[in-house]
Amino acid sequence: MLEFQLIRSTQAVERRPETTIGGSSARVARARRRLRALCVALSLVAVAGCSGTRVSVPPILPVPLVDRLPVTIGVYLSEDLRQYAHREKLETGGDWEIELGSAQTVMFDNLLTGMFTQVRTIPNPQAPGGEVAGVLVPSLEEVQFSTPDQTRTDYFEVWVRYKFQLYDRDGTLAGEWPLTAYGKANAGNYGMSSRQPALQAAALAALRDAMAFFTVQFHTVPPVRAWIAGELGGAP
Amino acid sequence: MTARRITSRHVTSRLLPVLALMLIVPLTGCVTSTVQEIREAETGMSTSDSVVLLGRRTLPSNQETETSFLSCVGRRMNAGSNRVKVIDEDDFRDAVFPWFEPRTAPTNTSSLPELIAQPNLAARLNEMGLRYLVWIDGDTDRTDSSGSLTCSVTTAGAGCFGFLTWENNSSYEASIWDIRTGTSAGKISSDAVGTSYMPAVVIPVPIIARVRSSACNSLADQLKTFLSG
Repeated sequence: MLEFQLIRSTQAVERRPETTIGGSSARVARARRRLRALCVALSLVAVAGCSGTRVSVPPILPVPLVDRLPVTIGVYLSEDLRQYAHREKLETGGDWEIELGSAQTVMFDNLLTGMFTQVRTIPNPQAPGGEVAGVLVPSLEEVQFSTPDQTRTDYFEVWVRYKFQLYDRDGTLAGEWPLTAYGKANAGNYGMSSRQPALQAAALAALRDAMAFFTVQFHTVPPVRAWIAGELGGAP
Repeated sequence: MTARRITSRHVTSRLLPVLALMLIVPLTGCVTSTVQEIREAETGMSTSDSVVLLGRRTLPSNQETETSFLSCVGRRMNAGSNRVKVIDEDDFRDAVFPWFEPRTAPTNTSSLPELIAQPNLAARLNEMGLRYLVWIDGDTDRTDSSGSLTCSVTTAGAGCFGFLTWENNSSYEASIWDIRTGTSAGKISSDAVGTSYMPAVVIPVPIIARVRSSACNSLADQLKTFLSG
């Protein structure tokens, strides 16, 4: 156990006669300034320990290495998705914010570029305009996270729940399905001030997990299988 | 009065560098390390071959290999004699995404042949010159601690008094998979245990047992020997 005691002795210092030693008043003033600075620093550390954190997920996401479906896919990213931020006040301390919206454009661009021969951004999924075989409409339904203080572990954890809608080339809803993804990050990997980078890493890991899950699951979703069979021929 | 002050200043000027050195370069405590190897197949590497070290990130587990340990093993393997070309873990995961993510990564060699038979993935692995994939599993835990240390700061000065001791235990296992044959080549385990001490009479004197570093060095050296055949 490392116990740290701060003994305030400025008043005792103030009572010393200023004339005893030449230059002592300057030393006392300097000591007082240092002590005050130390108190302020310790207070800031204490306050920082109770306050929340704001993180924005960096749009650094890979392109899947899979066989591309030989169709042109459209994608519609709503304003809500592109501006999505999860805000929560925790009982264990502070206001927390995870800003996921700014990574969504890169995420779906990379994801679909790896999975389809061509990708087009479509302004209205119900009127795709005949250029695309279908339109994918993702939406973020829910985000949850936990901190090491809550779980008594070293890990920040983030869960994201997406809903995907697939419209066919006529703008008719072909099907929809949910996707839940999870990411975690060990706070121990990020040194003393680990909250922000560890939470950011956990959120980024959750988005990577969503991309990985989407990639491997896509062909097995029943409405997607039917849609692929309709576009490429063969049994669904 | 003056003479005393000079003596005190003289002693302080001599002591300060020593104390500063003790704080900057902590003394090293004893570490006991053990390395064990199980070989299942012949190994060997050409100069163009490379290796990747991957930490197990099983979901949702609270046991995860520290990234600093993976970096340490990679750095050590990449240097010195018999150096082995090690691909960065993040670069590898991005290059073969999504096949080595926590959700999709193979948990044993039985699914490896099917995975590396995918043309896209096989071509990418070949492009990287990847010969062996090494999964590193394990972590370093504090297994025991006792004692207490109190530090005080006043305008007259600062100081600490007390005694702290703690024991750390590192336990790591490396599973080596041969990418060309899709089989397991063997396993190496590295365990290290050591006790650190911190006595303090005014100045704390840390005597740190570098347990994780010892496990890292032992594992990296053994991996280099193992992979070179």
